[in-house]
Amino acid sequence: MRLPKFDYRSPNSIQEASAILLEEPSARVLAGGTDLLVNMKHKVETPAVIVSLAAVPDRNYVKKADGAVRIGALTPLKRVYTDSFVAQKLPALAIAASSVGSYHHQTMGTLGGNLCQQTRCKFFNQSKWWRNSRPICFKAGGEMCHVAKKEHVCYSTYCGDVAPALLVLKAEVVLTGKAGVRQVPLESIYSGEGKTPLTLQQGELLTEIVIPEQAADGFSTYRKFANRGSIDFPIVGAAFWTSKKTGESRIGFTAVDRKPLRALQLEDFMKGKQLGSEVIEAVDGLVAKEARLMLSSIDSLSQKRQLMGQLVKKAIGEAMGGR
Amino acid sequence: MEKEFTVVGHRVPMIDAAAKVTGSAQFTDDLVFPGMLYGKVLRSPLPHAKILNIDVSKAASLPGVKGVVTGAEIPDRRYGIVPKARDEYALAKGKVRYIGDEVAAVCAIDPEIAEEAIDLIKVDYEELPAVFDPREAIKEGAPIIHEGVANNTSFAIRKEFGDVAKAFAESALVSEDTFYSQAVNHAPMEPHAAVAQYDPVRGQVVLWSSTQIPFFLRRNLSATLQIPESKVRVIKPKVGGGFGQKIDMFAKDFCAAWFAMKTGRAVKFVYERDEVFIATRQRHPMYLTVKTGMAKDGKILAQQFLAHADGGAYNSTAPTMMALSCFFLMVPYHVPNLLYEGYHVYTNKPVGGAMRGHGIPQARFAVERQIDMMAGRLNLDPAEVRFKNSIKAGEPHPGGFVIKTCGFADSVQEAAKAIGWQEKRGKLPFGRGVGMGGASFPSGVTNMSHISSGAVVQVGQDGGVNVLTGAADIGQGAETVIAQIVAEELGVPFDIVRVTAADTGTTPLDPGTFGSGVTVRAGNAARIAAESVRKKLFECIADEMEANPEDLIAADGKIFVKGSPDINVLFTKALKMYQYRDLPMPLVGRASWMADTKEPTTLFNEPGNFSPNYSFMTQAAEVEVDLDTGKVKVVKMVTAHDCGRPINPMLVEGQLEGSIAGGMGQALYEDVIVDKGQVMNPSFLDYGFPTAMEMPEMESIDIETDDPVGPFGAKEAGEGTQLSPAPAIVNAIYDAIGVEFNELPVTPEKVLKALAEKKKQGV
Amino acid sequence: MKKVLALKVNGDTHEVLISPNMTLLEVLRDKLGLMGTKRGCDLGACGACTVLVDGEAYLSCIMLAMDAAGREVTTIEGLSGNGQLHPIQKSFVDVGGLQCGFCTPGIVMTAKAILDEEPKPTEESIKKKMAGNLCRCTGYKKVVEAVMDAAGVKGGLK
Repeated sequence: MRLPKFDYRSPNSIQEASAILLEEPSARVLAGGTDLLVNMKHKVETPAVIVSLAAVPDRNYVKKADGAVRIGALTPLKRVYTDSFVAQKLPALAIAASSVGSYHHQTMGTLGGNLCQQTRCKFFNQSKWWRNSRPICFKAGGEMCHVAKKEHVCYSTYCGDVAPALLVLKAEVVLTGKAGVRQVPLESIYSGEGKTPLTLQQGELLTEIVIPEQAADGFSTYRKFANRGSIDFPIVGAAFWTSKKTGESRIGFTAVDRKPLRALQLEDFMKGKQLGSEVIEAVDGLVAKEARLMLSSIDSLSQKRQLMGQLVKKAIGEAMGGR
Repeated sequence: MEKEFTVVGHRVPMIDAAAKVTGSAQFTDDLVFPGMLYGKVLRSPLPHAKILNIDVSKAASLPGVKGVVTGAEIPDRRYGIVPKARDEYALAKGKVRYIGDEVAAVCAIDPEIAEEAIDLIKVDYEELPAVFDPREAIKEGAPIIHEGVANNTSFAIRKEFGDVAKAFAESALVSEDTFYSQAVNHAPMEPHAAVAQYDPVRGQVVLWSSTQIPFFLRRNLSATLQIPESKVRVIKPKVGGGFGQKIDMFAKDFCAAWFAMKTGRAVKFVYERDEVFIATRQRHPMYLTVKTGMAKDGKILAQQFLAHADGGAYNSTAPTMMALSCFFLMVPYHVPNLLYEGYHVYTNKPVGGAMRGHGIPQARFAVERQIDMMAGRLNLDPAEVRFKNSIKAGEPHPGGFVIKTCGFADSVQEAAKAIGWQEKRGKLPFGRGVGMGGASFPSGVTNMSHISSGAVVQVGQDGGVNVLTGAADIGQGAETVIAQIVAEELGVPFDIVRVTAADTGTTPLDPGTFGSGVTVRAGNAARIAAESVRKKLFECIADEMEANPEDLIAADGKIFVKGSPDINVLFTKALKMYQYRDLPMPLVGRASWMADTKEPTTLFNEPGNFSPNYSFMTQAAEVEVDLDTGKVKVVKMVTAHDCGRPINPMLVEGQLEGSIAGGMGQALYEDVIVDKGQVMNPSFLDYGFPTAMEMPEMESIDIETDDPVGPFGAKEAGEGTQLSPAPAIVNAIYDAIGVEFNELPVTPEKVLKALAEKKKQGV
Repeated sequence: MKKVLALKVNGDTHEVLISPNMTLLEVLRDKLGLMGTKRGCDLGACGACTVLVDGEAYLSCIMLAMDAAGREVTTIEGLSGNGQLHPIQKSFVDVGGLQCGFCTPGIVMTAKAILDEEPKPTEESIKKKMAGNLCRCTGYKKVVEAVMDAAGVKGGLK
């Protein structure tokens, strides 16, 4: 399957990259390529210009500064999870990063790229000739959403592993563009809408991930359910962070909605409560309402719903000292 | 047994292992010719439709496009691997019958232009009602998929012996159960590919194809291109896996040859991975109803079967598949009264074809599951029931099979011992369990008569040996095994034997790799050809050695008189002696071998032998069920395996280990999900067959029975072991959580649902 | 518009004129004639196209050739030298860690990356890192055993 034709640019700095993105409205940023290039082969994404970040220096790092952990957006996932501080103090992030795809995806794929991945759908992630059996879907440039069977909506699903882990660690991201540099909570970059999943402005690139030092002051984990132990996207992924000290718990999900999300109702319920049977018994009832599950994958909604509860309960069990 | 032989029975690395590990082994897509063109196929987006019009004008005029062809232009010649089941055209004529059906093809100077050209072909369709379930398609009033094929039933088989009604009446327990086995894709790592070249002066086509059946492919090409077979040469390069999916001619073969003939240039077609998933072959989904009558002690008195195979849009190997599925219900257990009714029904879906086990896995799953269920109801140990019902070598067989060696009973005991059956069955904590499944498989099917393999063995004056064989090595190691057999027969080192194989222009006839016939059939041919060389050599030097030719032995590179190995002549010296007698060099031996057989399909109406010999095995699995997520982990799988004598134990293990992965995939992980005729998961990502992370601990126990028919005692090893893993695993799941699953695959979701049901019912 | 790419492969520098939409896999096979690296799915889901880029295991089918500029690419052809098999290759031959051989170059290159990173890996670690290399023939047992053999680690799969 050949990639469609495009104009290739290889800027030497973020500023240069940003300028190209501003000049060319249909330009796309290329980091590891494990997401974008596959979609381009499927011809669901056909940018006229590719802005490769291969030559942009100094964005591959994991460092502690000003009481936070700062990770460059172009840091490969493998580097993230093999970092000793991340592995020991931010286990949710380490586990999530090491569960992305396969070993090869982890050496090629970057943290920033993984966060910004395209949403997914069984009608979208297919070759052009496969998609000829139906009208082009809304996300791919047509009118109809084949999941909802409605026009001008998109019910694709966000399936990245790392986002929910970073959400529960209360990560922020640095967005760099023409207007300057801004640092925002991670959740704000997700629109919650399937056709344009990211809120980044034109010309903006995600350049750094910032994790506050308090994130290390608690227990955290990421639990992924997939059919196989490699290659697969999550059917459901759940991240969990809890602090005995503050009595606060945070739960993040992926593969259940058009964006990664925090289970705010469940978090509210758990506030101040000890982890134990009362909490565990309430999980299933509360998580069910947290996400807008849609049939955008070959997995059933009932399985996803069940897994949401199961994975959180397993994580709570882990936090309590069991396995 | 190993001590008896110097090459056979030894763990010899594959003859082409070095080429494969260095990346120099040549697969079809690795072939490049100057000026080569690249082809692409246009496929139907609809499951059932009339083709009203095809406008290729824009495609044909795209710069770089050198040819466009549609079904309207190709000869009106259907093809298929089974003569009476020919129902396909290389490109659809008049209508399309499934999403993926080939409609047109282009060739261009580079693949990018070919892709673009395909997009420019405009087809007008008139959509027709489609049918997706064989049980619906068989009914009156269902849309007819192939003209003239009533009830969409392209093949039906009925086989009967004994008196099932009487036997049921005499049974202590009669149970009727239904089972379903899903569509599975072979998913070989190498996509289907073909490269064709044409000599316009001599009118000869050469086709390199990733195929399992070079000689059948030649025949099909000749028929559909309407040129004599003698003008078609099919060469098989290295093949990156087939498992049955590369049996049959495909559009890529025909179109590559077609365009080569039209343009005079080499033409290459390589399928994309989703084309392989959608538009080649898959395992037939099957609905099976099994009714079994058992005596109180677990002895099987009668079995009655009703099977509906979901054929998809075309026949492929339909009659053979149904026959195998039926006949292999007669082994490994003694079934004295049997009635089998089976129907192969068309649907507007991907095409079912031969896949490792070829119709038997589906039936085996049903029988092995039911044995466990009935054993349970009779309060008997399922292992004991299997042991008790085992057929025995040399005994008269109800269907007329001639079984000279049978290690099945032993395999039940060995597998049980190895998995810890006594200690574990019914005794492990909830969520953990053990189960077993038995199986048997033919070493090539006698029923398809005129299936013979030829071999030529040439020994040159330098002592080097070249074996010409038509056998198609697709990664299982056929060439290695043949080389070992020849080396053993000639008493020469393995590494001086070369194999030239699977080239219809130079190697002897061979039906190809299917039905696990290669080791026995092509191996026997090679052995007899080598024996003929040995005899010629012995005749020549017997006088010199002052012995009778019958008293000479060839071993370890020497020739000596039986009993006196110290008085010997080097093999190479003997060759020199032969040469200096002015006898023609190279020394050539020729042979062909065919299983003893009557005309085809007599077995449908009379008893008779189905295969030259039969492999037997029992597999036992230990599983662990995650009660929270429903995920089943296969912890360990043991195989007790009678393949006569392994010519190469390392390769036999390889077959076993690979087929455990395949059987496990079928049990738990794999399913071709089709929605209104469209495959929803045509990728390695979404069709998730097992990775290294999923593999269990594997143990194999070799049960040697030294079969008299096979070369050096060998029987098949490669398909039988893909029959029993699925039932062993599903039987183990019953032991673990008390749930009977009779439909495949057993997904985490199904397990959770079943556990929830049990909880509700308070069991 | 075509661009000139200077690509360092197996120690040699090649200058090729390519369209930017060519993947590293396409350039290796179709421009440089290095057929050892295979195309199993072209979508990064099987590992048959694995090469080393600066010593790391990469999926060459989902990497732009242009992005390999200035980096060291090693393909299966670059592993053995002096007419001898690399020890990893020898282990695969001896243990029988291959059948049809199509996935083998990708697996061998991944094995190299694994052993360069972890000279004495555990069986678990090998499985996890090798899991992105799909194989339909072997069931992976002898593949893992071959890597353990190459690492000189005793044991192997039970």
